[in-house]
Amino acid sequence: MIESLLAGVDLALRIDTFIWISGGLLLGMLMGALPGFTTTMGMSVLVPISFLVGDPLIGIPFLIGVYKGGIYGGSVPAILISMPGTGASIATVFDGPALTRKGRSRKALEMSLFASAIADFFSDVLTLVMIVPVAAIVLGFGPPEIAAVMFLSLVIIAVTATGPVIKGLIMLGLGVWVGFVGADPFSALARYTFGTSELYDGFHLIPILIGLFALPEIFKAVKEGDGPGARAASFVGERLRFDELKRSFPTIVRSTAIGSGIGVVPGLGQPIAAMMGYIAAKNSSKHPETFGKGELDGIAAAEAANNAVNGPTMVPLLTLGIPGDAVTALLLGAFMMQGLRPGPTLLESSGDVVFGILIAMVLANGLFVVIGYLTIPLFARVVTIKKSLLIPITIMLAFAGTYLARGNPFDIVTLIGFGLIGIAAREAKFDVAPMVMGFILGRELEYTFGQTLALAGDDWIRFALTERLGMTTVVLATPVIGLMLGRRMTRFRKRALARDREQSA
Amino acid sequence: MSPSLLLTTVVRRSAALFALPWLLFAGPMAQQAALAQYPEKPITLITPFAAGGSSDLTARVFTSFISKYLGRPMLIKLVPGQAGQKGTLEATKAAPDGYTLVFIDNYRDQLHQYTFRNDYYDTNEDLVTVVRINYGQIAIIVRTDGPYETWAQLEADARARPGQIRMSHSGLWAALFVPARRIMQNLDLRFRMVPYRGGGPAKAALMAGDVDFSMAFPATVAVDVEAGKVRILATAGPERTVEGVPSFVEIGLSPNTGYIHRIVMAPSGVPEDRLMRLRRAFAALQSDEAYLAAMRRLGENTEYMDGVDYEAVRIEQSREYGELVRAIAGQ
Repeated sequence: MIESLLAGVDLALRIDTFIWISGGLLLGMLMGALPGFTTTMGMSVLVPISFLVGDPLIGIPFLIGVYKGGIYGGSVPAILISMPGTGASIATVFDGPALTRKGRSRKALEMSLFASAIADFFSDVLTLVMIVPVAAIVLGFGPPEIAAVMFLSLVIIAVTATGPVIKGLIMLGLGVWVGFVGADPFSALARYTFGTSELYDGFHLIPILIGLFALPEIFKAVKEGDGPGARAASFVGERLRFDELKRSFPTIVRSTAIGSGIGVVPGLGQPIAAMMGYIAAKNSSKHPETFGKGELDGIAAAEAANNAVNGPTMVPLLTLGIPGDAVTALLLGAFMMQGLRPGPTLLESSGDVVFGILIAMVLANGLFVVIGYLTIPLFARVVTIKKSLLIPITIMLAFAGTYLARGNPFDIVTLIGFGLIGIAAREAKFDVAPMVMGFILGRELEYTFGQTLALAGDDWIRFALTERLGMTTVVLATPVIGLMLGRRMTRFRKRALARDREQSA
Repeated sequence: MSPSLLLTTVVRRSAALFALPWLLFAGPMAQQAALAQYPEKPITLITPFAAGGSSDLTARVFTSFISKYLGRPMLIKLVPGQAGQKGTLEATKAAPDGYTLVFIDNYRDQLHQYTFRNDYYDTNEDLVTVVRINYGQIAIIVRTDGPYETWAQLEADARARPGQIRMSHSGLWAALFVPARRIMQNLDLRFRMVPYRGGGPAKAALMAGDVDFSMAFPATVAVDVEAGKVRILATAGPERTVEGVPSFVEIGLSPNTGYIHRIVMAPSGVPEDRLMRLRRAFAALQSDEAYLAAMRRLGENTEYMDGVDYEAVRIEQSREYGELVRAIAGQ
């Protein structure tokens, strides 16, 4: 093992490897920054390039670069124009746009970059060190355990939503219901489709995200409409200071741990990691009331957590040959095209190449910071564009991005519909985040719960108590965790309310 | 630099940045040549699958090489949804000029007409085969540390405990589900079918011990078989393909059970000369060493069949699937 690790170091230190990684990172960032252009689509378009390059230490690090860059790139429109291009940036829209309005977009982008790169670095190192022992744990997570974790996540999101608990619950329930629209995953029978074929596949995440988060923001900007020549911000703001980064370091470490844990389990994914990282940071902060109002720590929490997922998804892929999501499925193809067959024998047969790739992945994070840093000034200037120009561009991006995501004209209707819901929710002071998470988690919970029922058969008590103790434990612990978190959050809310009154008095 | 000049530069630059990925798609589309021999512009291949699946990868491989034989690129357009019906519908609606093709498999082509409601197109009327790219033969797999060493043992256990033996499959009416239903039908067995999202997760469920057996295309479990973790109990077809392992015919199934055919189709009404041009290009592809090597590395065979011959296969499939679904529905 040590020998192949050393041989891997030797293989990875090549100039052409780094040039290709840089290219991948840059392409990934640009694609990620384009709303609607998901990392999966970007990689799918670029995967033939890696086929044609006959060297595994070029083709695969290139794709990994696209992956890393893409997940970070999604934070750029989330911060600047409140438009999460992919689910991974869902928690970045809580604080990013608020920072931009305060003229601190540059700080926010740099925090996003550094948090992403640091989290990527640590989770990659963790992957490299833990790949062998962790592989055994992965298989312990079947549908019952994932269903239990999804249930726990739903409860956590419900009790920690901003504003009154009942409003959070309403939005969450609405999101879950929206997720049920479309073909039932087990019998393929249509539900809530009103006989239309457009709704048969259910709603797509991208138009919901853009509709709920970006359109209300655009509406607000149009309504304010200040004088001619007004800008979102007159300057891009200061750079991130080192002490600010240092202050967020505990948050980054926490989010990295959360993201890595979620990454190892196939099927959970970046949106849940980002949300959980954000909630954990808010919960352990000394000033949770600043979260959601332009808190740099919130950006760090969300962006570190979603990027920390990237490295560990390689564990089940490389050791078991099991891709956890579409991105790793593409990587699986890329590995096979290079004559490497992921699975239990991969580390023995081509340990040096695999470690070479993993080491290149770790070292790529240095390039990540440099390339990201060079692109920030360009992106950040978006806010200095005149509002009369920026708003039309934003609207164009919202619609084009929605259409681009899967080329379905009906998604435009969805976008407008959810835009109206988002505007109404903002007027009535409802938080839309629980709705999106309800949408994402609800259908996953339904699917994994259905799988669990299929596995259990008739004798589900025996199934829960003998075969699936892990699931049973999580399910039993959920109300306790929910109650404790809920109480804490009520205290925060009261304190914030008292402070507001003090200030206004 | 004056502020207004800076602004223009920035807008222009950011526009270029945002446009770049679009150009990757749209760039080649812009070429419009005067009337010449077909194909005079890029051909669009609709794939009704999600990005990242094995069919997506196969399509990416052959489209990368076919341009050499067509003289124009073949571009993939992903149109996932409705179990593949959405993309297929789009292809049937396209002008039959040979510039829009669709990549599907036999289940989507012939089986789904019986299993999913579809009032929008008739696959037999509206689509014609260009080529069968290759096929896959399914295998029944178990863990080596599990209780089953032969198919006979598994079958006996399933008969003793109906509805108790768990099998993981990759989705309703898909590549693992259909052969399992045919086994249940032909051998009068009942399995507890547990759905997963794709063949990878279905295999993972077997490895984790969540289910008792599963199915897979041998290439996708070759590594696990070598590592001594997975055992193959039977393989599709009339002949044995793995030494010492019975074929599906030997265990009492029809010779067609458990085959997946990956096919490129064109909307009916495409001019004969254009169809022939496409078929010739795919025939020529079969002697391209780079293509053959790439498919080999993916673990896919290159058992090509000309579209004319495959049309006969479709008729047979249509009859068989119809009988299967009627038999299941009648229960």
